[in-house]
Amino acid sequence: MQHSNGTKSPTIDVQRTKILLLGQRRSGKTSIQQVLFNDVSPKQTFYLEPTTRIVKDTYDTVIPLEIWDCPGNVTLDTLGASLSDFSSIIFVIDIQDSYQQPVARMLDFFIAAYQESPDICLEVLVHKAEAFTDDYKIENFRHIQQRVIDELLDISQDYEQMPLNFHLTSVYDHSIHEAFSRVLHKLIDSLPYLEDLLNVFCANSQSSKAFLFDVKSRLYVATDASPVDTGTHNLCCDYVKTLNAFGPLYKSSSSSAARLLRDSRSSSPSSGPSFYPSAAVTLAPSTQGTTLTYHSITPQLALLALMHTAVFEEQRGLLEYNVVFFREGVQEISQVEKDARMGSLVV
Amino acid sequence: MKKKVLLMGASGSGKTSMRSLIFSNNPASLTSRLGATIDVEQNHVRFLGDLILNLWDCGGQDSFMDSYLSTQRSTIFQHVGVMIYVFEVESRDMPKDLTYYRDCLDALRKYSSDASVFLLVHKMDLVKGDKGTQLERKRRDLQAESGDVEVTVFGTSIYDESLYKAWSRIVHTIIPNAAVLTKHLTTFAEACSATEVILFERTTFLVIATSSPPAPPASSQRALANGAATPGSSSTVVTAPTSPVEDVHKLNATRYERTSELIKALKHSCSRVREEFYALEMELPEFTAVLDEMTKNTYVLIVVHDPTIETAALKINIRTARQKFEELQNDSISA
Ligand SMILES: Nc1nc2c(ncn2[C@@H]2O[C@H](COP(=O)(O)OP(=O)(O)OP(=O)(O)O)[C@@H](O)[C@H]2O)c(=O)[nH]1
Ligand SMILES: Nc1nc2c(ncn2[C@@H]2O[C@H](COP(=O)(O)OP(=O)(O)OP(=O)(O)O)[C@@H](O)[C@H]2O)c(=O)[nH]1
Ligand SMILES: [Mg+2]
Ligand SMILES: [Mg+2]
Repeated sequence: MQHSNGTKSPTIDVQRTKILLLGQRRSGKTSIQQVLFNDVSPKQTFYLEPTTRIVKDTYDTVIPLEIWDCPGNVTLDTLGASLSDFSSIIFVIDIQDSYQQPVARMLDFFIAAYQESPDICLEVLVHKAEAFTDDYKIENFRHIQQRVIDELLDISQDYEQMPLNFHLTSVYDHSIHEAFSRVLHKLIDSLPYLEDLLNVFCANSQSSKAFLFDVKSRLYVATDASPVDTGTHNLCCDYVKTLNAFGPLYKSSSSSAARLLRDSRSSSPSSGPSFYPSAAVTLAPSTQGTTLTYHSITPQLALLALMHTAVFEEQRGLLEYNVVFFREGVQEISQVEKDARMGSLVV
Repeated sequence: MKKKVLLMGASGSGKTSMRSLIFSNNPASLTSRLGATIDVEQNHVRFLGDLILNLWDCGGQDSFMDSYLSTQRSTIFQHVGVMIYVFEVESRDMPKDLTYYRDCLDALRKYSSDASVFLLVHKMDLVKGDKGTQLERKRRDLQAESGDVEVTVFGTSIYDESLYKAWSRIVHTIIPNAAVLTKHLTTFAEACSATEVILFERTTFLVIATSSPPAPPASSQRALANGAATPGSSSTVVTAPTSPVEDVHKLNATRYERTSELIKALKHSCSRVREEFYALEMELPEFTAVLDEMTKNTYVLIVVHDPTIETAALKINIRTARQKFEELQNDSISA
């Protein structure tokens, strides 16, 4: 079976990585899904209707995802699927709500899932956290975390090894993006290869930090080995948002299309398009400052890298060369992911 | 040169909020923490270097309003260049708002007869139904209330770009010889093979001037474009949408105010990591653009659709034009 143009035929079902979104009524499940994957603004989530049946949404990034948004009262019986079908289960707990019921329900699901597939990723989002002051937020977060672990061990000491991950989130700031990025990382088999490519890129380009972002959702799918500073992450997130918003503003009905035409003509059909959007924002006027570069890598992904402005200006050629090298690496990895998923259908 | 700008309207209508958004680069989400303004808060905002906006943010509680209209009447209403009157779109007491408004208008006519008047129908984000028809109705009502005083009405909200549109139009009327800037931006755009060039004030990112729409490449239109750029035909350059040149690009109509909003948001993100926004260059599928410092007080955005033009060339053009625009700007303000 040939899959050479698999990307262009969405009718062929690839094997998607499934994520289950659970939580009490009004805990914010649909809001999270809509804000991340459907460009809904946080304020607009106020008008979302309660979810009455399971909604399966697909999203294509470095791996193809299928996210199941459930009604608040879904049970193992009404789910209509085995928990082992999912790679990750996310349970959303409203930080402003009482915890007893949600924690009990969450543990029911988690224990059932763990028994079926011990490798499953179990994620707890302590959500709507923006409403509290930082201190109070952390205090509540710790409290919930402790309570979950206590109750779990009360049920059985066997669950000590259960891999639970806790995140403090809100759709009103960048925390949902950072948390969901971390959820996503665990699902990407090729993550170590992407990280290697980023490390090499940083070393060769004298970049202090680089992220591979999914452009539409503004989740980062990988980063280099240096620690993630939340401020830097947030700036990158906002930068991608700015660039996404700029495109349509100055789109010319007579000339924009011609730009792309020229690019597809000048490139041989096998090498794909030669034109990749790029951008750079310079911070602080002097060459002492920092520049944040943006390079499109695939239609979904972009490389963001921080470097000294002096380096950016003096070694532009080298940077572009490193980007080409990086792009080839990522495209190769994406292709392997794609083939593996198509292949698994044939079996 | 100083321009006195009165910011008036009922308490809670959003005057201090918009001031803090436009002039202090604060995010909309923080405005809910603002307390009511006591009496008048005066701000001197340096705008374009030598032009100083003297903002009078007048607390809107009844007792203050009564005093502006009686004992403080001449102090408040004399030497006013612009009065901006803010109405909440869903006001709790519109008749009272209108009574105060008419009284203020009377006082303004007496003490500053040539002041321009802008009315902002604010908090448009709260309108549930059709915002367009609601705004039209308000516009008609307010124009009727204003009698023979010429007023310009805008619908605004701190949660979208509409605020930048209104304020850009307001400051545009304050800048002397803005048309000269337009003319030179048009020439500059031609030199860059740009579709459009936009000049922003540095701290507020309000739009000061833009180049005129470019002529289509047809030779018949060519003469017309050249005619418009001929030196000597000063201040006659058409900026209105009624330009005879056919708009072949059909760029998004809200692009100016959206750009202000986007850059302000990006500046804010930068400041959160204690960095300062400086310049931006983009090669997007739709266009190529450079946003860079033009003069000490302005930023310029050059938008190019020609795929053969590179950002490096645009940056060199900006560097070359800096001196000229610095002089121009000084001329236009001291004029
Ligand atoms: N303050 C705050 N409110 C949020 C946040 N996320 C969601 N909400 C609000 O929570 C309410 C419920 O959100 P939904 O996304 O519909 O919740 P849900 O979990 O999908 O609810 P069901 O579908 O009924 O189970 C909405 O009013 C959202 O605006 C958040 O991060 N902070
Ligand atoms: N929904 C909405 N709220 C707004 C908007 N602009 C301002 N507000 C809110 O209105 C409230 C009052 O705003 P202020 O700016 O303090 O009002 P003010 O006109 O200065 O009031 P005084 O100083 O008493 O005259 C704040 O809570 C703002 O968050 C808007 O566009 N939409
Ligand atoms: Mg829902
Ligand atoms: Mg005030």
